[in-house]
Amino acid sequence: MIVTDNLGKQYQDLVALDGLSLQIPAGEIFGLLGPNGAGKTTTIKILTTLARPSWGSARIQGFDVVRQPLEVKKLIGVCPQEINLDRELTAFENLWIYGKLHRTADLSVRIRELLEFGDLQDRADSLVRDFSGGMQRRLLILRALVSRPRVLFLDEPTVGLDPQVRRQLWSLIQELKLGGITIILTTHYIEEAEMLCDRVGVLNRGRLIALDTPRALVAKVGGYVVETLNTGRRQYLLVRDKDEAYARAQTEPAGVIIRQTNLEDVFIQLTGERLTD
Amino acid sequence: MNWFPIFYRELLLFRRRLLRLGYVVSALVSPMLYLLAFGLGLGKRVAISGGTYLDYLLPGLVAMTSMTNSYTWIATSMTVGRLHFRTFQVYIQSPVTATDIVVGQILAGMVRGLFASVILMGLGFFLAGGFHFNLMFILALLLNCLVFAAFGVIVGMKSRSHEDTATFTNFFIMPMAFFCGTFFPVDEMPWLLRDIIKALPLTHTNHLLRHPAWNLASLDSLAVLGGYATLCLVLAIIIVRRYSE
Repeated sequence: MIVTDNLGKQYQDLVALDGLSLQIPAGEIFGLLGPNGAGKTTTIKILTTLARPSWGSARIQGFDVVRQPLEVKKLIGVCPQEINLDRELTAFENLWIYGKLHRTADLSVRIRELLEFGDLQDRADSLVRDFSGGMQRRLLILRALVSRPRVLFLDEPTVGLDPQVRRQLWSLIQELKLGGITIILTTHYIEEAEMLCDRVGVLNRGRLIALDTPRALVAKVGGYVVETLNTGRRQYLLVRDKDEAYARAQTEPAGVIIRQTNLEDVFIQLTGERLTD
Repeated sequence: MNWFPIFYRELLLFRRRLLRLGYVVSALVSPMLYLLAFGLGLGKRVAISGGTYLDYLLPGLVAMTSMTNSYTWIATSMTVGRLHFRTFQVYIQSPVTATDIVVGQILAGMVRGLFASVILMGLGFFLAGGFHFNLMFILALLLNCLVFAAFGVIVGMKSRSHEDTATFTNFFIMPMAFFCGTFFPVDEMPWLLRDIIKALPLTHTNHLLRHPAWNLASLDSLAVLGGYATLCLVLAIIIVRRYSE
C-alpha cells in the first residue's frame, strides 16, 4: 500500500507538485497521466527517495520515505525515464551490480531467470552500448526487477520507442502484474494508460485533477465523441452514447467521425489542453 | 557496510578503459612530460637538497600523480554520472548508506591514484635508481590518495556542470601541483605564500615521500594529512546524505 498525504515539492519559484493525496493498494497498476511538467516525475522522485518533499508525507508499506529511506529502498525497484545503465558494462554486469547493491539472494540464478524473461539470455555478456533502444529499455525494466521488489516504479517506460517495441514492453508489464507486484507508471501515452492501468490519476500543473479507473473517467465525460471539421478547425463534441452521437451527426452539414472517447478526450475536457502540448 | 558493489563497479569501468589503447599513456602524460623536460633536462646538472634534481623531482611527481589521478577519476565520473548519465541516482535509490557510497568511490579513486603512482615509480627506479621506501612512505601515499579521492567526491557532488569540475581543478589542484614542493623547495617562497603552502596537504605528502623518517616533523605531516582526510571524508558523507533533487 502506498499512501501520500498533501505531498508537495517546490523548486525556487516553481511548485512542481501541489498537495498530492493518494492511496494505492497492493497489486494495483496505477497510472500517473499528464503532460510534461505536470509533476509525474517529481512524484516518482519523492516516492523513490531521490527528492525530499517540501511538504506533506508519503509512506510505502508503512515506511516513511523521508524518515525510513533505507526500508523504503529495500521494497522498491525503479526504472527511470532516462536509460541510466552502464553502457561500458555487459548486461550481466549491470544486473549483478544492482543485485549486489540490494543484497539480492541467489543473484546469478535470478539474473539468468530475468534475462530469459526479457528475452535477452543470448546477450548477457554483450556490452550495453551495442544494444538497440528497445533492448536497453527492456534491460532497464529487468534491472529494476532484480531485487524482487514489492513496488515497481516505471517512469515513462516506453518513451521514444517504436510501436512494435512498445507493445512488447506492454506485454512484459502485463505479465508482471500477474505476479502480484504493485506498479506505479507514468506516461503521456493515452493508450498505454488505458491498456495497462487499473486506475489513473490525472496530473496537471502539479495538481491531481482526476482519479478513477480509465473506464469510469471516460464515462464521466461521455462515452462517444463526434469529431467535426468546421472552417478548417477540428472540433470535438462529447456525448453520452452512440444514439446521441448519431443524432448529432445528422445535424452536421459536413462529414463527421464518430468514435469512442479516450483518455486524451478526458484530459482535454478537464484542462482545456492536449496531453502532447 | 555495503560499499563493495560501488567499488567493484568503478573497478570494472576502470578495467574496461585500461584495455583501450593509449589510456595508460594518457593518464601518465603530464608526469612523463615533467620528468623528461625538467628531470632529464636539468637532471644531473642541478643539485638540490644535496642530490641531483632528478632525485628531488621523482618523489614530487609521485605525490602529484597520485593526487591528480585519485581526484580526477572520481570528480569526473561522479559529475558526469550524476548530471549526464544519471548512474549515480541508482546508488541513491538503492538500500546503501551515504557512507557506503563515499567509501566505495574513494577506494576506487585510491586504486586509480596508486596504479598511476606505481607505474611512475617503476619508471623512476629505471631512470634514477630509487626512493626511500618504508612504511611511512606507503602511509603517506595512501593518505594522499585518500585525501584527494575524498575531495573528488565533494567536487563530483557539488559541480553543476562539467566546466565546474575544471574550475575546481584550476583553483585547487593545479596550484598545489606547482607550489607545494613538487618542483622546488617550499622554503624558497616569500614568507606569506610559504605559510599558506605549508598548510596545504600536498606539501606534507611531498615532505613525507622525500623524507619518510619516523621523526617529529614527519609525524606532524602525517597528522596534517590525516586531518585533511578526516575532514574531506566527513564532508563528503554529509553532502551525499543530504542529496536531494
